[in-house]
Amino acid sequence: MSEIVKTEPFVMNIGPQHPSTHGVFRVKVTVDGEQITDAEMVIGYLHRSMEKLAEERTYTQNIPFTDRTDYLSSMSNNLGYCLAVEKLGGLSVPARGQAIRVIMAELQRLASHCMGAGAFANDTGAWQTPVMWFNRERERILDIFEMTSGARLTCNYMRIGGVAFELRSGFEEAVRNLLPRLQQTIADGQELLAENEIFIARARDVAVVSPETAIGASLTGPMLRGSGVAWDIRKADPYSGYEKYDFQIPIGYKGDAYDRFTVRLEEMRQSIKIVEQALDDLPGGPHSTEVPLAFRPPAGEAYARIESPRGELGYYLISDGGPSPFRFHIRPPSLINLSVLKEMTVGASVADAIIALGSVDIVVGEIDR
Amino acid sequence: MLSFLATDHWYDLRDLANLYRVVLEGLDHIFPTGLVYVLTALLGFIAFFVVFVLPSQLYVGVYGERRLIGRMQARQGPNRVGPLGLLQPVADAIKLLQKEALTPRSADRLIMWAAPVLFVAPAILIFAVIPFGPRMVFADIPVSLMYFLAISSLPVIASFMAGWSSNNKYSLFGAMRIVAMSISYEIPLVLGLLAVSVLSGTMSLQGMVYWQQDIPTWMILIQPIAFAVYFIGVSAELNRTPTDIAEAESEIVAGYLTEYSGMRWGLFYGMDIAYALGASAFAATIFFGGWSLFGLEQWVPPWLIFILKTYLFYFVFIWTRGTLPRLRIDQLMSFAWKFLLPIALINLLVVAVERLIWTSNDLPDAIVWAFGAVNIVLMVGIVFIWAKVFKYDPKKRPTKPRLVNEPGGYRPVDLEQGGPSL
Amino acid sequence: MSTRWWSSTEFAEFLSKLVPDSISRVEENACYLVPEKLVEAMMALRDDADSNFVHLTNLCAADYWDKFEVIYHIQSLEKNCIASVKVEVLDRENPVLPSVTSVWHGAWLQECEAYDLYGIRFENHPNLTRILLWEGYPGWPLRKDFLTMPGGLQPGLNEFAGTAAKPEPPVHTVE
Repeated sequence: MSEIVKTEPFVMNIGPQHPSTHGVFRVKVTVDGEQITDAEMVIGYLHRSMEKLAEERTYTQNIPFTDRTDYLSSMSNNLGYCLAVEKLGGLSVPARGQAIRVIMAELQRLASHCMGAGAFANDTGAWQTPVMWFNRERERILDIFEMTSGARLTCNYMRIGGVAFELRSGFEEAVRNLLPRLQQTIADGQELLAENEIFIARARDVAVVSPETAIGASLTGPMLRGSGVAWDIRKADPYSGYEKYDFQIPIGYKGDAYDRFTVRLEEMRQSIKIVEQALDDLPGGPHSTEVPLAFRPPAGEAYARIESPRGELGYYLISDGGPSPFRFHIRPPSLINLSVLKEMTVGASVADAIIALGSVDIVVGEIDR
Repeated sequence: MLSFLATDHWYDLRDLANLYRVVLEGLDHIFPTGLVYVLTALLGFIAFFVVFVLPSQLYVGVYGERRLIGRMQARQGPNRVGPLGLLQPVADAIKLLQKEALTPRSADRLIMWAAPVLFVAPAILIFAVIPFGPRMVFADIPVSLMYFLAISSLPVIASFMAGWSSNNKYSLFGAMRIVAMSISYEIPLVLGLLAVSVLSGTMSLQGMVYWQQDIPTWMILIQPIAFAVYFIGVSAELNRTPTDIAEAESEIVAGYLTEYSGMRWGLFYGMDIAYALGASAFAATIFFGGWSLFGLEQWVPPWLIFILKTYLFYFVFIWTRGTLPRLRIDQLMSFAWKFLLPIALINLLVVAVERLIWTSNDLPDAIVWAFGAVNIVLMVGIVFIWAKVFKYDPKKRPTKPRLVNEPGGYRPVDLEQGGPSL
Repeated sequence: MSTRWWSSTEFAEFLSKLVPDSISRVEENACYLVPEKLVEAMMALRDDADSNFVHLTNLCAADYWDKFEVIYHIQSLEKNCIASVKVEVLDRENPVLPSVTSVWHGAWLQECEAYDLYGIRFENHPNLTRILLWEGYPGWPLRKDFLTMPGGLQPGLNEFAGTAAKPEPPVHTVE
């Protein structure tokens, strides 16, 4: 039989224009029937050379660049960069500024995970419905960002030494009205997706990453926690006053796509808890310290990292004492989480490869920078 | 049997066949006989088109589906063109007619052109045997069940032609998937319908409606297994979620339709809706009593009852499409061969035995209710045994992650406290 | 509780016991390793129970005009500590460094990125290609002297000098 009928593998491009690659991202897969025998990712379609551009601009002028790396979580990027500059310059942030930063970063995490969870459900074939439901709540979070910073997506709200503006009146009420709605949406996601038979059949035991592989491949964020490794920068290396808040780290059982999805849902619940606590004891005082516009930190280097929605977002800055960074390096969680793409996809079917890619929750702006 | 429809007045709209007959006789005095048939056939076709196809296709299939799915997806749906967006399907059709129907350079032009044409013909042929009323059926052939099965397997060939001729890898995937899936789901589908045919003792759709009217009952109450098999099988054949793997948008872009554009794509899209409506009409006929509604058909036009049932069934298709994720092809295959086929065979065996008991002992008609009870118990039992065999326990399955307070390395899963079981 | 940063002196003391002669010099904020002993030292740091640096957090390169540095931030999840390790690459014309992908799989893409933007070749890397830019891109953009590099963007030029040398991509037509 095998002499008469023979099959041969062929190369198929998933992307750069494909409904499920979440941006201009391309995977060259070699398939044998439905089974993938090789996968190679091709990135760089969105490369803007931010690290080079940042070397020509002052420290404050670089904040808008960080918005545009991970465009789904600009607040987190702002925060990570500002922390790095503050570490470099030895600045401190007033308590109110820190609390506002925490609120914003956690709201951003909620917004980003809304997108991540919804898009992942889209990849499993729940055609557009969950993503629209989650996006409806995300829009409300973006409304709050617009109210605070004037922009919805690229907020540019954090500044070196604090935040750009004081909170608008009515901010607290708006957030407090929003949180129960978000709880309801997360509960809907839990009941209608995480406990859905078809969803479990599609996501369970798919794209399994063992804890050893996950640690060795430098995974961070929900990818690492999904594999059962308890690691969260907010707990391990608290920044911006996270040690004051009471929350827990969700970790998965097996390290499959389903675990990553449920970890994201649980992280959203924990974020709501943090926002509530931060709102309850929002300290008074100034929201920012005075920092000169052309800030010149002393020569040296600093590596600051935060737990962005996608994982450990690190900023490595080298200063030569001038007004602009000598070296500006971003540690992109999306890119490094893709290290295991081959491990997850080879041997799986095309449908599972889409699930694997969706469970990483990539943002191409951050991969390519 | 037609006693309640004894009036032959043309204004008796309960059965449009009267009107049709009057028109036919009236024309017979004016025109020669041969021409009358041509004229009335045209008239009937136009009436069928205006009364059923156009509103169904455009307003239930396109507009209704988009509006309903829009509502399910927390958005508005089409609401700009015309009042309430009612002109949206018309605008879409005009747009599709204007669009260029692209053909890739390396495609097989003839087959790519022929595929949508071949896709359309069976969709119209299906409606030939669907009874809209006691005398409102175009071709009341005694084996209309087989006719339906034969016709409804044809579009698969057209889909395969479309996928193969496009010379696109995604299209090829879609084509291969649809062929594999249709072959798999055809078998349980036929077996399920065979059980219906065995119990009712007829293969004519009209006969099945009369059978259900006489008992009176609905077949879904008597044969839930056959209905489940039919519903799953037909939704797989129609490419509706959760089994829309042939045009799985998130995986293979649009499957066999990837390279189609303009009205060629429009024909595929429109005829997909027509097949779904045909399958709904078929289900309404066989499992939901067709145009009969426990005596109400004497007062309400039966065709209205029938169309309403069809639309209600079509709503279920829309509903699943708006809510459910998609299964993987191997899961669908194993479901068809390992679960659906055995259950359809068991059902056929049980129903055959029931039919034998019924006819050989000359039992009253009410005995079918007892059969129905037996079948429902059988269905529940099979599902429970199935769950037992595969150790299915939704409560043991963790759907929420573990929570820890302290960061650190890997935390091994404590199997005592409910490890994953799937 | 927050992450403990190993000071460079502490790190040097620890590593010199673990792998002798692997440290070239110790500075205030980091410890410089000898490139020849890099993989061995990293492997030892990863496997030793006291250091347990199982997670390569960050790998990046930096250009100091006269030399390159590759910076590794390695951390232990269980002990919650992090250390910064540096390696100097002095040869600007042909910068070569051993790859640490055999130690941490996560170095793969980060080394590719450093190669892509700095031109530092990592030996024994399984698949060292340019990931963000295309193969054949003229020059290494994150180098400080990128604008004056041969083939780089010369001042006064509107396009890359290397572009003209690049052949036109072949146009495949079927039929």
